[in-house]
Amino acid sequence: MIPAPVLELRAVLPLGVLALGAIAVLVLDLVMLDRSRLFGRSVTRAFVGTLLSLTSAVFLIVVLVLGVQNLVHGSTAVFNVANPLVQLDPLANFGVLLVAGGTLLVCLMSVAYLAELDINHGEYYALLLLSASGMVLLVSATDLLSLFLGLEVTAIPAYVLAGFDRGRRRGNEAALKYFLLGSFASAILLYGMALLYGATGATTLEAIRQAEVASSPLALAGMGLVLVGFAFKVSSVPFHQWVPDVYEGAPASVGGFFATTVKAAAFVALLRLLAVALGEGASWVAPMLAVLAALSMIVGNTMALIQQNPKRLLGYAAIGHAGYLLLGFVAATPEAYAAVLFYLTAYLFMTLGAFAVLVALANRGHDLERIGDLAGLAKKRPALAGALTLFAISLAGIPPTAGFLAKFQLFAAVVGAGHVGLVILAVGTSVLSAFYYLRLPVLMVMREPEGPPPRLHLASGEWLVVGVCALAVVTLGLLPNGLGVDSPSLLPPALDWSRDAITALLASR
Amino acid sequence: MSLWLFYAFGAVAVIGALGMVLNVRNAVASALCLVATMVALGGVHVLLEAYFVGALQVLVYAGAIVVLFVFVVMLLNLRRDGFPPARARLGRVTAAAVVGAALAGLVGLALTLPETAVPGATAALPEGFGGYRRVGAALFTDYLLAFEATSLLLLSAMVGAVVLAKRRGGDA
Repeated sequence: MIPAPVLELRAVLPLGVLALGAIAVLVLDLVMLDRSRLFGRSVTRAFVGTLLSLTSAVFLIVVLVLGVQNLVHGSTAVFNVANPLVQLDPLANFGVLLVAGGTLLVCLMSVAYLAELDINHGEYYALLLLSASGMVLLVSATDLLSLFLGLEVTAIPAYVLAGFDRGRRRGNEAALKYFLLGSFASAILLYGMALLYGATGATTLEAIRQAEVASSPLALAGMGLVLVGFAFKVSSVPFHQWVPDVYEGAPASVGGFFATTVKAAAFVALLRLLAVALGEGASWVAPMLAVLAALSMIVGNTMALIQQNPKRLLGYAAIGHAGYLLLGFVAATPEAYAAVLFYLTAYLFMTLGAFAVLVALANRGHDLERIGDLAGLAKKRPALAGALTLFAISLAGIPPTAGFLAKFQLFAAVVGAGHVGLVILAVGTSVLSAFYYLRLPVLMVMREPEGPPPRLHLASGEWLVVGVCALAVVTLGLLPNGLGVDSPSLLPPALDWSRDAITALLASR
Repeated sequence: MSLWLFYAFGAVAVIGALGMVLNVRNAVASALCLVATMVALGGVHVLLEAYFVGALQVLVYAGAIVVLFVFVVMLLNLRRDGFPPARARLGRVTAAAVVGAALAGLVGLALTLPETAVPGATAALPEGFGGYRRVGAALFTDYLLAFEATSLLLLSAMVGAVVLAKRRGGDA
């Protein structure tokens, strides 16, 4: 008789809810597609899309509420104490909030957009939820096995989403490129994990640090290969070639999903990997990470200067931001890690907001393909132009926005760890980035409108997402801790939570 | 005895792998070389007393996956002249040389390093190691979550395949 394991299901509740949501969406889509009617009334395709989007939103909101509750209580749940594959600690809960929040915004802004592109299929939401469940596994993984599974469950639906618009050649190209390079990176990562297992005889992150073999060649090679795999996932130079092509080829809403949610989950997982598996032995990876960070900042921001396609521009900008974020890992102090989490939060809202504006500007079945088409937007759609200006200002890191505060926190923490040269480079590239970010408002205000007029009707979901992102960018910049810890339901104290998450992580190891 | 068997299986695996890569004329023959490699790897697993994994290796890889490869190869009916002419030959040769040199360096490094036991490798094998009973028990107790997550992975792959391949109303 095999003894039954003692399981704590609370630790996998967010994962389960999201997986259940994906299945519910699939079944609902099938039922309505089959009958084309609901309760005896015939339904249109657009109605089905709205309903599926709202269904996904309900599941995601449940996960958000769970995450907020866990964070407020600061609780930690381990799924199986005998063999802890996942652990829902404050860091994981912070990650869950980022993942569920990002996916929720993507779901809400996609309804009218999918109809506009004529790809209004229910599987879109199911794939988003499946990918989100993979990310929840990823952010709570404390074992190489669950870490790898999380990455793959995240990535497989993402490959499909990149090519969701099958009729478009660029989309097909993006999906294939993402799939091939992503599989290659996964293979490298897996090879590195196998070497780490060979060097330490353990797969849990905790046991890998306790094995204290950081200097053995096998462990060095293993950790190096794992970092290469992660560098691909977080789109750092020189493993960035897929980023601009995929962001350009994929539908704008999916591009936003990749740029923010998927990336945030990968960064949270990398944080846990470096902080737990390497611990104090992390000093030898710092030079490697410093090179990755410096190259990402320089190449991303320089290449973004010469882009003409807005999605491509955001792709190169995302590479630059990955460079800033990697700075936090170079410093590897608790303050720097907390600053990384706050940066991810701010970055999620400002980048998703920018992509939401692009989604709202999609016209006649096409995304906005040239930055020049933004000309005169301030006259045609002042609210959208204002929102995009706000996001651009925040991305460039100009006060009083979330982007400024996030950069300030991060750079201060990195200077505190003694990496002044890197921060000078980061500030320099930030100034460079202001050129291409501020070109957007200049174009929208100064130039006369040309080209086709924008869509007449904007869906309420698009307004909602742009509004929420704009609000978040301003409030995170002015009130990063909300209105105090006592009223977290109104304005979450993001800054405090990020610090608590790191404190709990470092205390538990 | 088991050392000689290991050399035999290892040789078959290496020759099969070389045959698969070097045999550029006939894709079916390449796939069959892959079968030989997979079967030999299954033998290596058995030598390591991982009987269940050895059987799975033969069933899943040598059986199912390579048969799928052969099907795809035959369906596509690829011939040598069907490929576009190889360009940038120098670049490819350089890349192959660099990777080959790195690999040779790694092997050389591994040979010169002092023999160190892998942690945990010296412990005696537990009762019933490698049998289906033990693998099953591990799969449904310690690794239950990983098992379930894998089913999510398969679900997304399936949905993805349908999304990308299904004929939609209105699509060509």
